[in-house]
Amino acid sequence: MTARLPDPPRAPAVAGAGPGAPYLNPYLAGIGLGLVLLAAFVLVGRGLGASGAFSSTLSWLVNLVAPAHAQANLYMQDYLGDGTTHPLKAWLVFEVVGVAAGALLSGLLAGRARFTVEKGPRVSTAIRLLCAFAGGMLMAFGAHLARGCTSGQALTGGALLNVGSWAFMLMVFVGGYAVAWFMRWQWR
Amino acid sequence: MRLPQLTLNQKLGAAALALGALALASQPHRGPFVKLDARELALVVEQEVDHVTPAELAAWIVEGRADYRLIDLRTAGEFERYHIPTAENAPLSALADYPLQRNEKIVLYSEGGIHAAQAWLLLRAQGYSGAYTVLGGLDGWKDEVLFPALPADAGPKQRARFERAAAVARFFGGEARADGTPAASAASVELPKLVSPAGPAQPVATGAPRKKKKEGC
Amino acid sequence: MMTPLFKYGFFGEEFSLLVAFVLGVGFGFFLERAGFGSARKLAAQFYLYDMSVFKVMFTAIVTAMLGVTYLGWLGWLDLDLVYLVPTHLGPQVVGGLVLGVGFVVGGYCPGTSVAALATGRFDAMLYALGIFAGTFAYAQVYPAIQGFVNANPMGQVTLPEVFELPWGLVVFVVVIIAVLGFWGATLVERRFRSEP
Repeated sequence: MTARLPDPPRAPAVAGAGPGAPYLNPYLAGIGLGLVLLAAFVLVGRGLGASGAFSSTLSWLVNLVAPAHAQANLYMQDYLGDGTTHPLKAWLVFEVVGVAAGALLSGLLAGRARFTVEKGPRVSTAIRLLCAFAGGMLMAFGAHLARGCTSGQALTGGALLNVGSWAFMLMVFVGGYAVAWFMRWQWR
Repeated sequence: MRLPQLTLNQKLGAAALALGALALASQPHRGPFVKLDARELALVVEQEVDHVTPAELAAWIVEGRADYRLIDLRTAGEFERYHIPTAENAPLSALADYPLQRNEKIVLYSEGGIHAAQAWLLLRAQGYSGAYTVLGGLDGWKDEVLFPALPADAGPKQRARFERAAAVARFFGGEARADGTPAASAASVELPKLVSPAGPAQPVATGAPRKKKKEGC
Repeated sequence: MMTPLFKYGFFGEEFSLLVAFVLGVGFGFFLERAGFGSARKLAAQFYLYDMSVFKVMFTAIVTAMLGVTYLGWLGWLDLDLVYLVPTHLGPQVVGGLVLGVGFVVGGYCPGTSVAALATGRFDAMLYALGIFAGTFAYAQVYPAIQGFVNANPMGQVTLPEVFELPWGLVVFVVVIIAVLGFWGATLVERRFRSEP
């Protein structure tokens, strides 16, 4: 038990992928993420998140196009509020815009930013895009049912030892591994 | 004896285990315990910046200000019978769990003022720097606002002020006492029916169900 | 203790939005650094040859968890004031399953999809559109499934509370599980990577 375990592979680990700097040691990246999360706790008293931003944005869009419908909808009402604040003036919306900016910065610095489609070698671009869309729809249901996604529930709730978050996190892995074999044609 | 060479990952793992082990002794929650700055609080009380008068509160309500939370510390039954307009009911024992922000202006009142003063101290100790009491409590409210009295030897300036007070009293459904009857008898006078004065919007009592979803993901 | 700063009135709503943006930048930066702007790297977790998702997520959880434990212990953070998402076991278990499936089908989660679309991945953009469509569909069926969505309310509870164990003990156990998990993950990776 003295041999060094091999380092994780240089990015990207799969065939047919493009150039770019090697990814950061996952433990260091995790520490970085953890410190950002801790900063959120200390500064604002809440954790990170993402799915709520999509809800706010969607509610705002629907309100633009069909206000009567949006304001009558039980779910969207929560994100539209009583009209005193703009729905996009929400903490998560600003945070998610930051995520995009931060990711772009990191991607540009590492030479990993490029217009492409991430997919396995055996699947066509069209099918991949369709799966991406379908995956997003499924994800939306999952996240809204659970009141959060991996950022909000798993990371935030995980660090705070929230019961629901740990249960959720466990089930995410169960669900993923359960269907992985059936979706392997998309990735390998 | 040479220590084995550890990789970065192994060092991180060791650090995590060490910190985890040390955490066994930790007690991260404050619990019900608070820290008081006795000197500071004593000063606040002496400088009389810890309370508002009923007349001031009445003025805020008439103006329709929405920058404060008015908390009635009495029981639900007493609250039902009569409460100062724009007040929310939070009995003293439930106050600790009541949703209040530390940067809000929180105005407390009880029947006379003792419970309000105690609640004020408890809130202040927990970091609510915007806590105030209503001087005299509900008794003071009845006395000064609902049933203002004109002293027998009043001069013209006092009369003018009394006229304004009478107008405010009518606004709240009360009535001025022009004959200088002592305040004690006001306790037996029927309290006005609860009709919210036209104008000021009632802030929603609980965590504002119609406001935007603030926290959560 | 005077933190969380926002809850002690050190700054208002507007500034907190700026803070949100800055925190988001840090979040997105490290997500991309870890390679989570790539669906292939994310999905690889579920094929066992790249366990980065597990490693990054649990390292982040352990870091922040130790952070709040120590800051709370020192009296520098009022842990009671940090928002805890209320627990509703039924919908959260089902939601987790559905999310896991969505992860493997779509290749992202909401946060990583934003990171990926910011670095030019078209599939992430489609994924985000899918989230919008799914959210709209959810909003339509929400009145009908409300009962389930609000089922099993347990309020804001933590694992130490539910298992009636000291906070520190649960923290220690989580750290042990995580470190063992990381060691195990590296073994799994080595095994599955050597396969063609």
